[in-house]
Amino acid sequence: MRAKRLMAALLAALCVMGLTACSGAANADNASGDEAASADGEVQEAVGEVVEGMIATKEVTVNPYTDELKIGFIPSNATEANGTAWGEGIREELSYWPNITYNIFDGEMNADKQSQLVYDLISQDYDGIILQAYNSSILAAAVEDAEAAGIPVVTINLGADTAYAGHVAMTDYEAGYAIGNKISEALGEEGGNVVVIQATPGATRGEELESGFQASMAEHPEITILDEQTGEWNMEKANTVMQDFLTSYGDEIDAVFCHNDQMAEGAGVACQNLGYNDIIIWGANGESKALEYIEQGIITGTVYTNCYDQGATAARLLMMYLGSNIDTSTFTQTPVIKMPPITVDSSNVANIPQEDRW
Amino acid sequence: MRQETLRRIISFALLVILLVIFSATSDTFLTANNIMNLLRECSVVGTLAIGVTMCIITGGNDLSCGALLGLVSMVIANLYHYTAFSLELILAVGLLTALLGGLLNGICISVLKIPDFVATLSTGMIFTGLIYLFAIRNESGLITSETIRNETIASWGGSFGNGLYYSTVVFFVVAIIAQVYLKHTKSGTYLYAMGANRKSAEYSGISFVKTKITAFMISAGTAFIGALLLLGRNRAVETATGTGLEFQAISATVIGGCAFSGGRGDAIGTVIGVLFMQVLRNGILKYNFSTQTQSVISGVVIVVMLIFDAYYNEYMQKKTTKASAVAREKKAVN
Repeated sequence: MRAKRLMAALLAALCVMGLTACSGAANADNASGDEAASADGEVQEAVGEVVEGMIATKEVTVNPYTDELKIGFIPSNATEANGTAWGEGIREELSYWPNITYNIFDGEMNADKQSQLVYDLISQDYDGIILQAYNSSILAAAVEDAEAAGIPVVTINLGADTAYAGHVAMTDYEAGYAIGNKISEALGEEGGNVVVIQATPGATRGEELESGFQASMAEHPEITILDEQTGEWNMEKANTVMQDFLTSYGDEIDAVFCHNDQMAEGAGVACQNLGYNDIIIWGANGESKALEYIEQGIITGTVYTNCYDQGATAARLLMMYLGSNIDTSTFTQTPVIKMPPITVDSSNVANIPQEDRW
Repeated sequence: MRQETLRRIISFALLVILLVIFSATSDTFLTANNIMNLLRECSVVGTLAIGVTMCIITGGNDLSCGALLGLVSMVIANLYHYTAFSLELILAVGLLTALLGGLLNGICISVLKIPDFVATLSTGMIFTGLIYLFAIRNESGLITSETIRNETIASWGGSFGNGLYYSTVVFFVVAIIAQVYLKHTKSGTYLYAMGANRKSAEYSGISFVKTKITAFMISAGTAFIGALLLLGRNRAVETATGTGLEFQAISATVIGGCAFSGGRGDAIGTVIGVLFMQVLRNGILKYNFSTQTQSVISGVVIVVMLIFDAYYNEYMQKKTTKASAVAREKKAVN
């Protein structure tokens, strides 16, 4: 048992050291206000604490291999492709532990509802929570309270604006940046005009994708952003927005960036219906329908992430904490596991096997 | 037994049945932690529902209360982020925003004679637009949200030593004040009179304009309190804050015995309605149903309650008409 604890502590230390170090840049980019200003310093401090063996410990009260444990997953939307894939990845990983009860609670695209669900799980004495936050600020208080109640929280894709057990990041900022570069590459030195179909205003994921995209655009002055409108994450709405764009700008549009695949699909169909077949359309997520649309030439590309793998990684991280004596509530910085964005277009879409499509 | 009391007893009995079912079938429902959490979850919607009750009693409705709650929260967050104002001043501006919103609703309905549903639906859209206008933005100008690191605001989300949250207490205090107002003040009686029969009320000298404005100002006041409770719990605001809360509040109000036609209902009934909704939501979670199943079950239970309410109203109306007819006949015979 002692060896197991030691191994767990070592793993956690390596995790914190490696992951906080590589997350420093992203944190500095994405965090706001004072947090952003002090991000690098805090990372170093956290790493220093680990190296000196100063991780706060607690008494181990559960045995993850034998005790009955309850783990809850709260995605922002359990019925969409991402939410389902993350949930399946977690379920697959946790199926190795027959003593674990695993339940999914739908956040219904509502951060306040997610916050309520976190408090529900705290009151029901859940042992661990995996969260895919809809809004990082709104969820901060609930996550802090869960950690204070001794329940480690691991987040996927979008975390909370506070320190907690761990975060498996989908790197939206980098994804937006990569898409910007892909579009500029396709448009060449002559450049061109781009329209953006954005997420619902205020959604943190959309904000990060947009920031990354804008950073790339800043490096390419030959590209002009003609217009930006919200598609509210929705295919039909994006379809309407794209039709409006085409009516207003017509042939002036060279490329479209959509904050998710569903909106890219809507934009792609709108372009096809109106006979604009040469417009470059990029989405973000990598859901199976988008990959099919890339194969069919309806959209140009997307940023793919293996959601099954992300879910499984989050579950593994959580199980490691549950079996260790690490007190995650004392963390001053959230350890981050980064899943690098993979840009997918017609040249490499065939490389994604069916079993990894979600 | 009075019709209103009977209706309340039925609502309460249904709540008890729900409590018994969940307590008997789940070992995590009837625990101190869960009950305290459940009561806390009631507080925001409940406080909002108390305000909506006033509007429904006058024969109207307030579809803008959720958006107004969001707007007040956003104004507070905005001022906290961008100015160096004291918290007291920020809260005063928040309250003023709420009251102006309520006044706008009241004027649209009573002076401009726009039907309640249309008026509040429209003002709700204005409030939502203003939320985006006041939203906090990052360096690139994109809407973002930020955690409010203020000890006083954070303390609003706290609890007493026994686990009872402050927000729960605030909700019940608001409910008690509202009940006293409705049942023991002249102004409260005017709300019932206006909802029961507007013409008769106006013939009696009750001002339609004043009554409507009063109801919507109270609704705005509860939206302000709800915003503070929500800020205390989440310590952050997003553009979607408050969205959909109006429908939860209205459902709870009607389940609690408020008649859409006006003139019937009270704060105690609304408290029961809110508890019913939250017990249902909280209890269903324990069964690990899929989201779709949960929505179907919640929806079916609420629809059944509303159908019951409609039949009950019709039955009681027939009964009252029959009793009046019998009384008239007796009087004629004598």
